Amino acid sequence: MNPLDFIRAHAPFNLLPAEALEQVERGLEIAFFPENSKVLARHGSKSQHLYMIRKGTARLERDGQTMMYLEEGEVFGYPSLISQDTPAFDVIAEEDLLIYRWSERVFRELMSHRPFAEFFTKGLAARLRLVTRQEGLEVTPIDLSLPVSDLVTRPPVFIARDATVQEAAKAMREHQISSILVEGNPLGILTDRDLRNRVLAEGKGPQTPLADVMSSPAKTLPASTPLFEALTFMVHQGIHHLPLEQDGRIVGVVTDTVFMRQQARSPLHLLRRLERTRNPEDLKGYSQELSGIAESLLAGGLGASEIGRSVSSLNDHLVRTLLRLAEERLGPPPTPYAWIVFGSEGRMEQALLTDQDNALVYAEETPEAQRYFAGLAGYVVGGLIQAGFPPCPGGYMATRWCKPIAEWQRLFQHWVKMPTPQELLEAQIFFDFRSVYGELSLEPLERIVASSGEESIFLAHLAKASLHFRPPIGFFRQIREEDGGVDIKKGGIAPIVSLARVHALEAGSLAKSTVERLKIAAQENKLSPEGAETLIEAFGFLMKIRLRQQLTNLRQELPPDNKIRLEQLSSLERRHLKEAFLQIREMQEAMGQRFHTDRLG
Amino acid sequence: MIWPLRKSPTWNEINYWALDLETSGLEPSDQILSVGMVPIRGGVIEFGAHYYSLVRPVRPQALSVEGIQAHHILPSELEAAPPLAQVLDEITQRIGRDVLVLHYGSIDLGFLRQGYKALGRRWVRPVVVDTAVLLARLGERQRQLEPHSKPYPSGLRAARARLGLPPHLEHHALWDALATAELFLALRHRLQARTLHQLI
Repeated sequence: MNPLDFIRAHAPFNLLPAEALEQVERGLEIAFFPENSKVLARHGSKSQHLYMIRKGTARLERDGQTMMYLEEGEVFGYPSLISQDTPAFDVIAEEDLLIYRWSERVFRELMSHRPFAEFFTKGLAARLRLVTRQEGLEVTPIDLSLPVSDLVTRPPVFIARDATVQEAAKAMREHQISSILVEGNPLGILTDRDLRNRVLAEGKGPQTPLADVMSSPAKTLPASTPLFEALTFMVHQGIHHLPLEQDGRIVGVVTDTVFMRQQARSPLHLLRRLERTRNPEDLKGYSQELSGIAESLLAGGLGASEIGRSVSSLNDHLVRTLLRLAEERLGPPPTPYAWIVFGSEGRMEQALLTDQDNALVYAEETPEAQRYFAGLAGYVVGGLIQAGFPPCPGGYMATRWCKPIAEWQRLFQHWVKMPTPQELLEAQIFFDFRSVYGELSLEPLERIVASSGEESIFLAHLAKASLHFRPPIGFFRQIREEDGGVDIKKGGIAPIVSLARVHALEAGSLAKSTVERLKIAAQENKLSPEGAETLIEAFGFLMKIRLRQQLTNLRQELPPDNKIRLEQLSSLERRHLKEAFLQIREMQEAMGQRFHTDRLG
Repeated sequence: MIWPLRKSPTWNEINYWALDLETSGLEPSDQILSVGMVPIRGGVIEFGAHYYSLVRPVRPQALSVEGIQAHHILPSELEAAPPLAQVLDEITQRIGRDVLVLHYGSIDLGFLRQGYKALGRRWVRPVVVDTAVLLARLGERQRQLEPHSKPYPSGLRAARARLGLPPHLEHHALWDALATAELFLALRHRLQARTLHQLI
């Protein structure tokens, strides 16, 4: 490989425009550092160059202690260049080093290119965003995280409340619109469909007062709502026109045809399909459609957490559909109940098909209730398997976890008051529970969870359980691969999830999503704001590369798993994975000290 | 020698030019097709100051198919190239009083000398460091320590691999010259040569 091809293949040079590569070539110097020689000295003279390793490994040392290894394609020397301070580490050739380097002058010239400059100047959090932005998958069809008001193309059209349907129809023809807003409080709306279904089909005449057939109050959303949330809302409400509101006035109307046009594989289509489902048999192929949607949301530029929320709310819909069907078959429940989900489903962080994690809580224990809910749980769990959700290997399914609320209360009390390490390791995901369907209030359980932060032994055990999985970082700060890959669920996602859980419970919060938990922990001073931000960004990054990997697996008809092969990541992603792991490890250590987990048996 | 009155300078006080020629073959009747040069100043390769050029052959009809297969230079590319006289000027101007770094230098030197003579110019042989010679020296030194050890390979690619240097694009004058320059830096260290004298 010639030097330019090598340089161009590695960050941050891959962020430079083609015309800047000539500067890179003109400024390129090549140096050889034999094994054990010092490239930069801590507290020595400041770095004169930006360095990139072409061949060999360099070691960062502080007081003779190895802090980190740098490998082929990695850059160093820039913190000192930027800050004009002396280097913070000794940089030593672990083995013979062939080094590419650029003088400070060339470096400064290249820094005029923003993406290149951002690589050096932003903190970890911002750098992770940079990776996901630069190396996102396909071209973006529509960015679903944008405010829904971006789809508004014209100002809203109003008509007086005392008008007739004919006048309304004329105004709609004149403005070429499929719906019209009706003045007054509350706001009303009349649509093409209303003219057909409520006027013509009912044999009403043109002089019918508008107020008789309009919908009022019209359902509205704030104009700043993200597109995908508006989308979910419309399907949920069964509406086709959505007025948007800003500062107390309506700024425009979006229609579902706009969404359909923008997105071939919209969650709308799958929701429609669920609404038509009459039999669990109809659910075959649900999982494929779901991954198709996740793929198009990813291509739409959504972050992993938005996609997780979208996927989870679709799955909630699926569960509700199945429960309604089950109730139709088995008759009304003998006592109120709640269907709960926990784990990633509870946190609304589902990527693709994950194992089922569900349970059933019912009000009163009777033999009849036992029989009824066993049947109900069996029906729904079976339906979920039909839809493509594998049964949970640990057996956390409503078929087994089906108990009256009093018993659930005892269980949660037991976990909080008399925790044992092994039990908590398994039970911690129950603290992410969320009710998906049913009348029964779970307030008694929520009260226990909300006050669990006062139990220091419980928190310490939970903290210890959260240290069960460690980032696969070796003694010398290199990423360790096992069986040809890195398990980023065990090594990254699970540690962040459990760190967030501990801190949120400590803060007495009932928040379920990892991002929300971290934010609350920072607000309540359980975690530094920088620490929380770093974990949030790392979490988004890990979730995204996992989702991408799983979609790739599915396309190749392989089961989705959590293994990431390092060679499939770009060098920039590899570097960020390493930094994310290092950050997690640091936070885990801090947590261990804070809760004195070493003093627990 | 150039430094008759003082002792040999430290190796990195000297400026070097690593040079490589691609030729139509290895016979005296063959022609220079391209040249690549990379300077080493203060012990560091200044790649940005490299020189590379194709050379318009005097006898294009004499180019062989085998040669083209080896160096991938097509006769059509050579038509627009500057003539040898002009390229030799560029080379001379750059070398000045610097030291040449060559791999198996006798071949390249032979072609250069022949080129100068054909144009009726005076040929002054520059000071040359030959990486193939340095490799042999390193091998010899190693055999004294371990009599049965494997000899150092003498080919550019194999020698680089043995010394832990990455693979490069071969049979291209510029990349071969750069490969030679890098090999020179690695060998200089292995031989613990401190002065120019210890390298020539």
